[in-house]
Amino acid sequence: MRLTGRALRIDTSAERKITRFIRDYLDKAKAGGIVLGVSGGVDSAATAALSTSAVGGRNVLGLFMPEEETYSKADYRHVRLLAGKFEFELKTIDLTQIIAGVCKAIPDYDKQDKISKGNLKARTRMLILYYYANSQNLIVAGSSDKSETMIGYYTKWGDAGADIAPIMDLYKTQVRQLALQMGIPHSIAQKPSTPALWPGQKAEEEIGLQYETLDLILYGLEHFMPAEAIARQLSLPLATVLAIKTRWLQTEHKRQMPLTPKLQYRTINADFRVTRTVELE
Amino acid sequence: MKTEFRMAIAQFPCKIGDKTSNIKKMEDFARYARDQKASIIVFPEMSLTGYTTRDLTFDLAEEVPGVSTARIAEIAEETGLYIIHGMPERSAKGEAILYNTAVLTGPEGFIGKYRKMYLPTHSVFEEKRYFRPGYQMPVFETELGKVGIMICYDIFFPETARALRLQGAKIVICISASPATRRTYFEALTVARAIENTCFLAYVNLVGIEDGLQFWGGSRLVGPNGTLIAQAKYDEEDISIGEVNYEDLRPIETFVPTLRDLRPEIYDSLRNFSEEL
Repeated sequence: MRLTGRALRIDTSAERKITRFIRDYLDKAKAGGIVLGVSGGVDSAATAALSTSAVGGRNVLGLFMPEEETYSKADYRHVRLLAGKFEFELKTIDLTQIIAGVCKAIPDYDKQDKISKGNLKARTRMLILYYYANSQNLIVAGSSDKSETMIGYYTKWGDAGADIAPIMDLYKTQVRQLALQMGIPHSIAQKPSTPALWPGQKAEEEIGLQYETLDLILYGLEHFMPAEAIARQLSLPLATVLAIKTRWLQTEHKRQMPLTPKLQYRTINADFRVTRTVELE
Repeated sequence: MKTEFRMAIAQFPCKIGDKTSNIKKMEDFARYARDQKASIIVFPEMSLTGYTTRDLTFDLAEEVPGVSTARIAEIAEETGLYIIHGMPERSAKGEAILYNTAVLTGPEGFIGKYRKMYLPTHSVFEEKRYFRPGYQMPVFETELGKVGIMICYDIFFPETARALRLQGAKIVICISASPATRRTYFEALTVARAIENTCFLAYVNLVGIEDGLQFWGGSRLVGPNGTLIAQAKYDEEDISIGEVNYEDLRPIETFVPTLRDLRPEIYDSLRNFSEEL
């Protein structure tokens, strides 16, 4: 197996399969539409485009949820551009006061702890999305991609909190390809990724690798390649590959339901095997 | 050949994927067993790597004999013990041909291996996803007599222990990774297999918690009449030493002569009956 950009190339079948998946899920869930957070980044842009392609723009509600610390005019401009192009409804909900109120209510709130506060923002967005989902019978579409999900680079029960994750089986570099295929402007598709939990946060800086490299490492791990082989092919130090592998393995707790001790005949998240899209008579 | 010896049954929580740490544990236990004048020490199923290795099994499996068994052989040589441990084995013939294997090592080195025949794929178990079943039921010649080995779910099938006993193994060793919900089954079956085969039966089970699964330990050495000779703690790391004396077999076999009274012709019928399920 050769770890080159070619390995990560996608064709138009990805768009077709994802839109079919979204449409099918909505039918089975008997929901009225989709709600998703739109940030101006490529992941939510692609998810919005796929959602509107699947169920029509009038059945998609995009929520732009800025807060004062990380607000960017460029992001807002991009979000409006996307809403116009893909014809979905866009609402803006300023989270500044909500977040300030939550911080104020926490007796041990520490403003120096930027990670805890950052995660609070992501979880607040999830709260708002689920408010709309519950009140309007909508499905929450998450925008997590495979790169970030594999290394646990997201907020537990925050931005990964969703009913469906249409692009979770695409690496970041593949999401960018898909975005361009769907007509999302280059300025959005190639914009540096950020979870925007604190000012100036840049994903590739924090991860320590460009996505072009990270995605190939993860692709190799996905295909059961030994770390040594990945390092050799990508001309990377073995320690770099092992660090990513360790990060992947140690964040499995984020990708599953909470762990519980097995006490009885069948246990949730262990040996109940029930499909998520059951349709009963 | 020794007709009387001391056997150590050792259970410890494994670090999933950390072979170095798990081997170190085995080494420490082996030295203790040597000091207690044991001749053999037995560790649980998959004790080299932990049981719930899932997709990591492909990374962790090794050829047998191989790197880790060589390390175990060093420990066996140093301590003068026979050592049985469990591990994932990769066939030399294919990258995804894996076995759930028990390895027997002696002071002279690698002796042999047994590949688990019955792979549980129900409830929390998914062994058929990763492992190929074994097809042989060997017994191994040692200074302690012939030794038969089986692994965990194998004990639910009476024919496994029977096959080992009929080849002359007076001690059958079952290594295991049994979660707590199955304890009563194993406690019944270990006694049943010993009685119906008039053999010594050692059962060595994992202990500790892996991915929410609690392994109950409770390793035991059962005599040929079903009595408990040695018992390790439940739910805790432990080592227990028991005496095996083959001279005990005569009074027990004469009292319950199951081997003498076997009806071989039934085995042909069993084959037909089992095909017609």
